Amino acid sequence: MQDLLRGPAWGQRTAIAILVGTMLLGGCASETKVTRVDTGVVTDLSGRWNDTDSRMVAETMVKEALGSPWLENYTRSKSRQPVVIVGTILNRSHEHINVQTFVTDLSRELTNSQKVTFVAGKGEREEIREERREQAVHALEDTQKAPGKEIGADYMLKGNISTILDESEGVKAVYYQVDLEMIDLENNVKSWFGQKKIKKVIERKRLLF
Amino acid sequence: MTGPRFAVIPASLLVVAATLSLLEGCGPKISHYVLVENSLRARDTAKADQILEQSEKEYGTKSQVLYRMDRGMTLQLAGRYQDSTAVLEQAEEEVDRLYTRRFRTEAKAFLINDTELTYEGDAYEQVMINVLKAVNYAITGAWNDAAVEARKIDHRLNVLSDRAQENDAYRDDAFARYFTGLVYEVTGDVNNAFIAYRKAYDEYGRARSWSRTPIPPMLRADLLRVTDALHLSQEHEDYRREFADVTWQPVSDQQQLAQVVVIGYNGRAPHKEDLFIDLPISLDALKLVLLTKGAVGPSNQDSRAVESVLYGLNGRVVRVALPRLVPQKTQVAYEQVSLSGARGYFGGRTELGQNLSALAEKSLSDRFASLAVKAVARAAVKYSLAEGAGRGARAAAGKDAGPWVGLLVGALAKTLAAASEEADKRSWRTLPDEVQIARLWVPPGDYELRVRPLGRDGGGVGQESMRTVALQGGETKLFIERVLP
Repeated sequence: MQDLLRGPAWGQRTAIAILVGTMLLGGCASETKVTRVDTGVVTDLSGRWNDTDSRMVAETMVKEALGSPWLENYTRSKSRQPVVIVGTILNRSHEHINVQTFVTDLSRELTNSQKVTFVAGKGEREEIREERREQAVHALEDTQKAPGKEIGADYMLKGNISTILDESEGVKAVYYQVDLEMIDLENNVKSWFGQKKIKKVIERKRLLF
Repeated sequence: MTGPRFAVIPASLLVVAATLSLLEGCGPKISHYVLVENSLRARDTAKADQILEQSEKEYGTKSQVLYRMDRGMTLQLAGRYQDSTAVLEQAEEEVDRLYTRRFRTEAKAFLINDTELTYEGDAYEQVMINVLKAVNYAITGAWNDAAVEARKIDHRLNVLSDRAQENDAYRDDAFARYFTGLVYEVTGDVNNAFIAYRKAYDEYGRARSWSRTPIPPMLRADLLRVTDALHLSQEHEDYRREFADVTWQPVSDQQQLAQVVVIGYNGRAPHKEDLFIDLPISLDALKLVLLTKGAVGPSNQDSRAVESVLYGLNGRVVRVALPRLVPQKTQVAYEQVSLSGARGYFGGRTELGQNLSALAEKSLSDRFASLAVKAVARAAVKYSLAEGAGRGARAAAGKDAGPWVGLLVGALAKTLAAASEEADKRSWRTLPDEVQIARLWVPPGDYELRVRPLGRDGGGVGQESMRTVALQGGETKLFIERVLP
């Protein structure tokens, strides 16, 4: 009788011990899985600024800029496309955003629109001028490109990316605001002002079973 | 009947023994810290970083955040700022991921000890990740990137403040606020600089009961300067009345000057050790505890094994381990900073910005009650499990062998329970004891920058450093100085 009473208790304890042991020692395996996806697929992993944000904002804002009256007014009055350069896009956000990819996205959209003439920015110009100086010394005379033939920009596209954060109990709201402005280089008149907002909510569980 | 039962006894014993013994001593070993400190003392920062890199395995998978924090600091001291930032970025991302706790890990830590938890750092250490990243960016002249870190610090501190239950708890960080103010001001964001300086001023005041850090005199001059620049006449007048004896320069006078910022990392952060509390639950057990303490004194590495066996055999002693901080106070009182060149001689001194030992003490004290409750509850569960294992083994072994098998299993399980008790002694030990800061505005030109650490008696401590710097008007250059004594 005593043995019978002890039996189930022992069984229970063994089960608990095995359960505890399994829980403590198990589950160490990890696996890496790589899947190739189309570059257009939205991949929101961490909630931070990503390639999709950069591309979407650039597309939308350039489309908006090129659909605004300043372009038509300029083309009509000067009988040619305006020449645009991308200036500084300042990162005023809470993240280390690769502003260069955003600038590239903007440049691509402006160039491909065929509605404006897009010229190289400050950093690129130096490299090209250096190449011209090299050509002046080393290239055949009839293939050399002469200095002083650069096209001066009419407008500069400038802007900044800023964020507002709010967070509580594992829920974080990130509000991105991208402001771009087209400034007339002749008279500093701001010909166009565009704004794009993105809001993301990132939720994290406190406990996983 | 007996055969199968005996077959179960080793299994149950093995489960308890294996789980308890396998999981003992998982915290990172501390020996490499001594080697790192020796290298830093010899001013061989590259060697210090190399030692830390080679010690990565000692940290184990549960202390990767700690490894990255330690490494981020040694990489910075070795002048590898980009690598330091990359490693600290990984630490920061991991800390964010660790917000989500896993039940299995929590349960395991509850049953064994807190070293089973993945280390995520104390709140002040998490803030220091961003401070160090901001310093990395600032040293390389990437002040706009440093400003990103400043904004992250602001957000982190806001969240911390929202979470804090007690008004007296570590819920803001005066030095982090001050440094973000400096970064904002350098990037031309004077309005945010004012907000940060004001928050720093308020926080130095609020935390004065435990921070052992008086309000740095330079902060008063900063507040006067930025309120004047922002034409905040009311605030400026209030500060003028409050800081009547402070001399300051308006922003317009400083625009053509170059700013030199020197950050001194002085001394070593405190480390933690086990504080063992042996709780006897019978008169015999009390006698045993008194006897062992009388014979061998406080527990140490060698006596702990013997005590665990004795307590296991007695069966009526519950061992609880809690972390205790061991301060390593720096001998440096401040650094004397001098710039000499064709434009003249300019001198100044560093001021205490952050007492990290005081912060560590406050952080531990804020958590101590919950750590103690958890440790006692864990000890009770371990004791019950060991008791259960003994009784189970006695029942399974039958009438003849039962008493001695039960005794043996119970004693062994209790020995292992006592031996597996260990406090979580992990902390960011490559941090200094104190962070000091100096700011000097000088005319542009080439200078010889000398930094001389001085002790509390005014005498020299450690070596004086010397470097040549070329300063342009309107620019700010930041330098760090690591002094170990």
